[in-house]
Amino acid sequence: MTDLGALFAARAALVVPAAIGPAAAAEVRARLERRGYTRYALVDRGSYDVVAEPDEPALCAALAALAADRLRPTPTAAPPPLAVIDARAVRLGPGDFVLAHHDRVHDDHQLELVLDLSAAPIAGAEVHYRRGGQLYHRVAAAPGALSIVERDGGVTCHHTYVSRRQADAVVRLVLRLRA
Amino acid sequence: MLRLGAAWDDEPALAAAWRAARPFPHLVIDGALAEAAVAELLAVVDEEPVWPYEADLFAFEATAPAPTTAELRALVAAWSAALTPRLARITGAAIGRADLRAYAYRPGHYLLPHTDHQAGLDRVLAFAYYLPSPEPPRGGELELYRCEVAADELVVTAPAAMIAPAPNRLVVFAVGAASLHQVREVEDGLRLSLAGWFYP
Repeated sequence: MTDLGALFAARAALVVPAAIGPAAAAEVRARLERRGYTRYALVDRGSYDVVAEPDEPALCAALAALAADRLRPTPTAAPPPLAVIDARAVRLGPGDFVLAHHDRVHDDHQLELVLDLSAAPIAGAEVHYRRGGQLYHRVAAAPGALSIVERDGGVTCHHTYVSRRQADAVVRLVLRLRA
Repeated sequence: MLRLGAAWDDEPALAAAWRAARPFPHLVIDGALAEAAVAELLAVVDEEPVWPYEADLFAFEATAPAPTTAELRALVAAWSAALTPRLARITGAAIGRADLRAYAYRPGHYLLPHTDHQAGLDRVLAFAYYLPSPEPPRGGELELYRCEVAADELVVTAPAAMIAPAPNRLVVFAVGAASLHQVREVEDGLRLSLAGWFYP
């Protein structure tokens, strides 16, 4: 089987709490800082900081393994083999956002993982997935949590606006996986 | 008929301001309506229900796309009749009618950067008229962006002008692929406005 649609009877959209601990998340944040963020500011699409190549192979492999384990069709089935297509880290501070039409197009079945690396929960800073315009998966701010979503061409995603009344930034590692 | 303020008397000056405005043609008219008209307008808007609207681009409260009361329908007609001929002369735009909705932005509400340009909608001019608020807002400014376009895409966006939502102020701007603007988040208070478009 090579297609996620065949692998999983139902479209996956779930959140795994505490996929990474606060100390490990802080280490990742520090490494991302050292690697250096680039500001994206074509504001008709988004406003955020990004590390296009986070260079976190061990973390990415662990997250892919965790996702594969969670997506086994039965408890005794072998985890599906999942390969990381790409990864990026985004940081949204007060006033930042990523609009849906800035979202990547997914023509084939893929999994998208979003790991919340934030130091603290940022109220209202969420990731929303829509199918046919209908919100079906809302990823609330929850440091350490991992969102796993199966995507195809009918799914759009956006990172909600972060209020200027917030003091801190939300940091997310975003991975795309393919079976 | 909606009574306009004295600010409209010097149309040549308004036309010059329109042409000189950057980053794209716009007008800011303070005292846009006569004081008595502002009170009448507030009374009409106060009777119209508002609903929450939320998407990736915005969060605010607004009246329904079409007026639900006869009074608001009459106000839309009066607005269009009073402003369309004047703005046509001032801007040189070929416009014949207007629509509008009332908006309430409370703390945390926003409208992120966008253009109002959409194929098939025929929007020529956009406007926002700021109503007096019982709790004057902090934030809620209209921010205009300077843009550069290449191959039908915006490739540069830079903040260029900021217009505060002062009571009885009317802002009018040209609708185009590069007329990028936003309503900055209201951080406190209540921002009340009428907004809509002029069409051919």
